[in-house]
Amino acid sequence: MHNIPSEIFRVAYGDLCYMKHNLVQTLVSTLVGPLLYLLAFGYGMRAGDTEYIAYVIPGIIAISSMNSGFSSSSQKIVIQRLFHSSFDELILCPMHTSSVIFGKCLMGIIRGFVGGLIILGLGMLLTPGLYLTVWLLLAMLISSIMFSLLGVAAGLLANSTPTLMMFNSIIILPMSFMCGTLFDVSALPPVVSAIVWALPLSHTTAIMRATADCLPVDYLSVAVILIYIVAFYSICHIVIRKKLY
Amino acid sequence: MEAEGLEIIRAENLVKRFGKLTAVDGLDLSVRKGEVYGFLGPNGAGKTTTVRMLTTMELPDEGRVWIDGFDTRTQYIQARRCVGVIQQQNSLDKDLTVKENIMHHALMKNLSFKESKERMKELGDMMELGDRMGTKVETLSGGWKKRVAIVCSLIHNPDILFMDEPTTGLDTQSRNMLWKMIRGINKSGTTVFLTTHYIFEAESLCNRVGIINNGKLIAEGTPSELKERVGKFALVAIDPEGNENIQYFKDSDSAKQASLEIPPDHTISIRRTNLEDVFLELTGRKI
Repeated sequence: MHNIPSEIFRVAYGDLCYMKHNLVQTLVSTLVGPLLYLLAFGYGMRAGDTEYIAYVIPGIIAISSMNSGFSSSSQKIVIQRLFHSSFDELILCPMHTSSVIFGKCLMGIIRGFVGGLIILGLGMLLTPGLYLTVWLLLAMLISSIMFSLLGVAAGLLANSTPTLMMFNSIIILPMSFMCGTLFDVSALPPVVSAIVWALPLSHTTAIMRATADCLPVDYLSVAVILIYIVAFYSICHIVIRKKLY
Repeated sequence: MEAEGLEIIRAENLVKRFGKLTAVDGLDLSVRKGEVYGFLGPNGAGKTTTVRMLTTMELPDEGRVWIDGFDTRTQYIQARRCVGVIQQQNSLDKDLTVKENIMHHALMKNLSFKESKERMKELGDMMELGDRMGTKVETLSGGWKKRVAIVCSLIHNPDILFMDEPTTGLDTQSRNMLWKMIRGINKSGTTVFLTTHYIFEAESLCNRVGIINNGKLIAEGTPSELKERVGKFALVAIDPEGNENIQYFKDSDSAKQASLEIPPDHTISIRRTNLEDVFLELTGRKI
């Protein structure tokens, strides 16, 4: 019988030690991007318009949870697989495959969640239009889990670091700008808007914005996110079980 | 040893292909509990791929493997509990300290924190890691990294230790130390499956040796048995152009007798045969 939570911690132990050794660097790299977005879009373009800052901060939290979750999981796995061979040690463990997958996600989840919390705290100081709700925290957690799973899948499938960088350039970076994080998706042409609505970040942004404004959540977005979580997890599971990495 | 002679590793008709290349081609293996089994072959013969299949890191395209009776396809978790692996390429996390690496391995093998600390102390003392526990792995020399890798692989007290080319890249002193450790590990009851392309290593450490070439097991037996198949003595004649010719004989007298017929401008030597001769005789090339 597997004790999954315990196994997840056991798998993540190495990554957590790594994070402990590099706490300052980890925190700085998590926060620099979101803070730049806030400065450039909130203050540079809109001259400190508090209404827009309240609008844009949930989007920046969504970007932060995506970038931190994705990059922490994917980069570490690529290094462990291709350069250190230490990923094989995980495969040799007498553990459930889901423990390996979520264990490798944990650092990304923590980084995504903590980064989002700091941006939220900062946003609450800057504008009165944001609310810290349980639903917002839950949305941040689910977003971090989803993008960490995507990071694990990408890390397992990438056969080189340039491949991973390409994935980052053609999937992650466009999502950062296009998925309603900095502007309303409905402003886009209908075809582009439809494509953007199929992407996961659009839905995490929508949910975070609704929960931060104490507005009702669109359950379709929740369903889409859950479908993505199942899809990303399934890819990881198949790749590990079939040893396709 | 009480259980010596029981089969602990069994492989039937193992096949692994990478595109058009067949890395392992219909391999059958049987390793007995308590022995040091040497898997000898040149680079690219299929040794590492075989180890990866035996240890559940790679699924075979065909064939089956049993580790201590557990089918690695269906009972891979039980099989993994029985094995420790030292990979050819160092698989330690270079960003972590020695202690963190060992603790991580212990936790991944489902040991409790208390058990992990006890085993870490016990094995750390055995490998004399004491004052290096807090050192980052990336700063250690190859020999010390190998010691840490051994501790990590033995942390859960496995029945079988797989070592893939363990002495490659080590200096003589570290290699001798490692051989001593391997003997000690085997003496404590652990079966050792060792791949190597060093003849002397296979001869001096292993109870039985399997010779692999182009993914096929071409000979198997004790080092003495294998050498006897070729002949105990080798007559080596080198002509003035430097071409080497080797003939094998059952005894030294026959070799001496044959040497009298070799032209006087050849350089002649008579020596005992080794596993390199066995490989040469079987394949027509050196390891």
